[in-house]
Amino acid sequence: MNLFTQAIISGLMTGAVYTFLGIGLVLVYRTARILNLAHGETFAITGVAAALLVAAGLPLVVALALAILAALAFAAGLHRFVLRPRAEWPPGTLILITLGAAFVVRGVLILAAGTDPVSFPVIFPEAPVRFAGGAIPPQGIALVVLGFGVSAAVGLFLSMTRAGKQLLAAAENPYAAELLGVNVERARLTAYAIGALLGALAAILLVPLIAVDFQSGLAMTLRGFIAAAISGMSPVGVLFSGLGLGLFESMVGAYLGALYQDPVMFCVLILVALWQSRKIRFGGGRRA
Amino acid sequence: MKAHHWIIAAFAAFAVALPYLKLLPAWTPALATVTALMALSLIGLNLIFGVSGMLALGQAAFVALPGYASGILVKAGVPGLLSIPIGIAIALAIARLVAEIFIRLPGIYFAIGTIGFAFVVEGLARAFPGLAGGASGLVLEPPMALGRDSWYALAVASLALGLATFALLVRGRFLRTLRLVRHDELAAQVLGVNVARLKARVFIIGSAYSAVGGVLLAYYVGVLAPESGGVNASLEALAMVIIGGSGSLFGPVLGAAGVQWLFAVAGGAARYELLVYGLGFFMVVLFAPSGISGAIRRAWSALAKRASGGPAAAAEPPAERPDGADASAGTMPRPARSGMCLKVENASKHFGGLRAVDEVSFEVRFGQIVALIGPNGAGKSTLFNLVSGIEPLSGGRIVLEGKDVGAASIHSRAGEIGRSFQVPRLVADMTTLDNVAARFDHLLKRGDEAGNQRRAQAQLAAFGLGAFADRPVREIGLGYHKLIELARASAGAPPLLLLDEPAVGLTTEEVGRLAAALQRLKREGAAILVVEHNIDFVATIADEVVVMNSGRLIARGTPAAVIANPAVQAAYFGALA
Repeated sequence: MNLFTQAIISGLMTGAVYTFLGIGLVLVYRTARILNLAHGETFAITGVAAALLVAAGLPLVVALALAILAALAFAAGLHRFVLRPRAEWPPGTLILITLGAAFVVRGVLILAAGTDPVSFPVIFPEAPVRFAGGAIPPQGIALVVLGFGVSAAVGLFLSMTRAGKQLLAAAENPYAAELLGVNVERARLTAYAIGALLGALAAILLVPLIAVDFQSGLAMTLRGFIAAAISGMSPVGVLFSGLGLGLFESMVGAYLGALYQDPVMFCVLILVALWQSRKIRFGGGRRA
Repeated sequence: MKAHHWIIAAFAAFAVALPYLKLLPAWTPALATVTALMALSLIGLNLIFGVSGMLALGQAAFVALPGYASGILVKAGVPGLLSIPIGIAIALAIARLVAEIFIRLPGIYFAIGTIGFAFVVEGLARAFPGLAGGASGLVLEPPMALGRDSWYALAVASLALGLATFALLVRGRFLRTLRLVRHDELAAQVLGVNVARLKARVFIIGSAYSAVGGVLLAYYVGVLAPESGGVNASLEALAMVIIGGSGSLFGPVLGAAGVQWLFAVAGGAARYELLVYGLGFFMVVLFAPSGISGAIRRAWSALAKRASGGPAAAAEPPAERPDGADASAGTMPRPARSGMCLKVENASKHFGGLRAVDEVSFEVRFGQIVALIGPNGAGKSTLFNLVSGIEPLSGGRIVLEGKDVGAASIHSRAGEIGRSFQVPRLVADMTTLDNVAARFDHLLKRGDEAGNQRRAQAQLAAFGLGAFADRPVREIGLGYHKLIELARASAGAPPLLLLDEPAVGLTTEEVGRLAAALQRLKREGAAILVVEHNIDFVATIADEVVVMNSGRLIARGTPAAVIANPAVQAAYFGALA
């Protein structure tokens, strides 16, 4: 087996996951000005729910559909019943609220599934495809194709179409957007829903390959955020930053060892922070 | 001491004795020791997050770091007692580094950066089992054997010391500054606060509490597990601070005691732990942001109210204070000023292809009021931001009292510039007096607390605002906010005043009061630059008018000459001509 090819393959898969999660964070940030720390929970909810439902004897397709619905309901409910009534609260408090929501989800997941990782069968059970000394399971191909394909579609929708531009305008200036006939509330709800859908899709494709446990959500949020931050919160840029990060992390894992992945990714975060702060020459203090 | 001080002292004595009284099930000396040390470490998070509002989501990393550093040093042959202070110093050096990297960026970077750091600490502790003990934890041998009661005494004494230093530190000027920065960083910078340095300092001081509490707890328990420095532990710490009452002195103690006792009583329900934490945290953030200590304070004031019979009598606005009559006490003596104050030379600001300010030059002399007018989008606000340093120049120079300040930061030129904003940026929760005192805090290098209060009082009196001194700004009519901000901006008589639309939204009577105040400041020698749309007001007060259109200066001269200028009429009064 060729280590380099294999690292590229796993990097593509990781990059797809980064992109899947990053784009949801970017969407919510750009439409509602909130850093949604509960975003990764859509991944954890879908993964754990699907695993439990399959274990309970439901057909895979039904279980997956129900799990996606659960993630959608969580994100929409968080927005509609918790965040929207408090839209005027300071951004820091809203971030804390999303953190609290993530906390509650973890508490529920550990009660539902315990501390051990759970998983469910792949959708594409065919034998791995081998080439150039590497192997990729069909599920992995689906992850890469869908991850970048769907994310690219969302990114293009936002930057090219009228509806997408309206969605982004909602955040730049909600009052002006409202005056111009943009339904800001619907734009935000749509953003949360698309984000949740992408998080759920990532779980459906990735969990059968690596399993999921009650605390996967926050780790996913963190990774998605690094991709989002590198792209400068751009819905198209996050495609490239996600891909780059995935390849980089996988190379670190392959050539240095998996234990170094977290510290190295943190160093990337530091570099991003230093890169961003070069713009802030005058004492800092820009608002989040 | 006041009555509630005696009650707190009596309650504290009772709380300290409680583990020996066997009144509360499961509240043993061992649990009380853990709780006290945990509360000590939480004081740090309470300062960083509770008081200062910084989203430190990975504070457990700084709780665990000194223990790890100390344990590893002991393995390397350093004596135990020496390894503890070195471990704390190492943790603080790392805290400083983390602060330097993330603190200048928007809050979301600080939140993610700190949470990421907690991931790293936990990950590294697992990654090097030889050095850090791996998943089963690092065993720590206390440098001296202490019995149960000695440990408890040590824990209570260090907690008391921690609370006392917190109470001494977080008050007066420092507390005012922290509240100002938390509420509005830009306003703080314009008042002369070096925001990045202040926040870094707060983070390091807070991390010192975390480190001391953490290292003592680690040696008491005897084992340091990787999880104790990780994200879960950080979020649990945050939950305890919020549940106890973030920002209040006893919040960390109440939070730690409440949560620890609850889990000790609940016993085997460890699997519910995360959900209990999560729900507690979530509910408090949503519905009771002041936590347990806020609830106690409300209950106490309700009791006090009932005892004194009916609502307190402070509802009536206080009368004008006689002690502020000496207005000169508010303005510090400055050398008699004449000549040039501000010279703007070919100042330019480009945003991409847009020339918001294009080669603009003019001057403001001491004792002169210059009005800057122009249609919307003419570049007036951008020019103001160039002068006060909020936007960097694309070209040209800003010369203030003969010094080129074009490259100086906002806070370092704030001593020479008093600025007001189009929409006043006052701290609504602070009193009018504190809002003005905050300016003196950062104008005078050695201003004492009583002196700054007195100066602020005199400054308010000079503007006829003495009656509002002790009332929070949010209770005062919006019409007065412009005047309060003017009082704050002109406090300490800075050479240059930048006033952004001071007359907008004021009644005729209030405009009259404003004009009188500006004339007085002018007589005292200030150089005043005003952006204003109210032409009548400009014609009454201005000595010179500078007109901008599309980023360029199109006319300057006396109000009458400028208003008669055809180019100005075309640009500005186009609709009327």
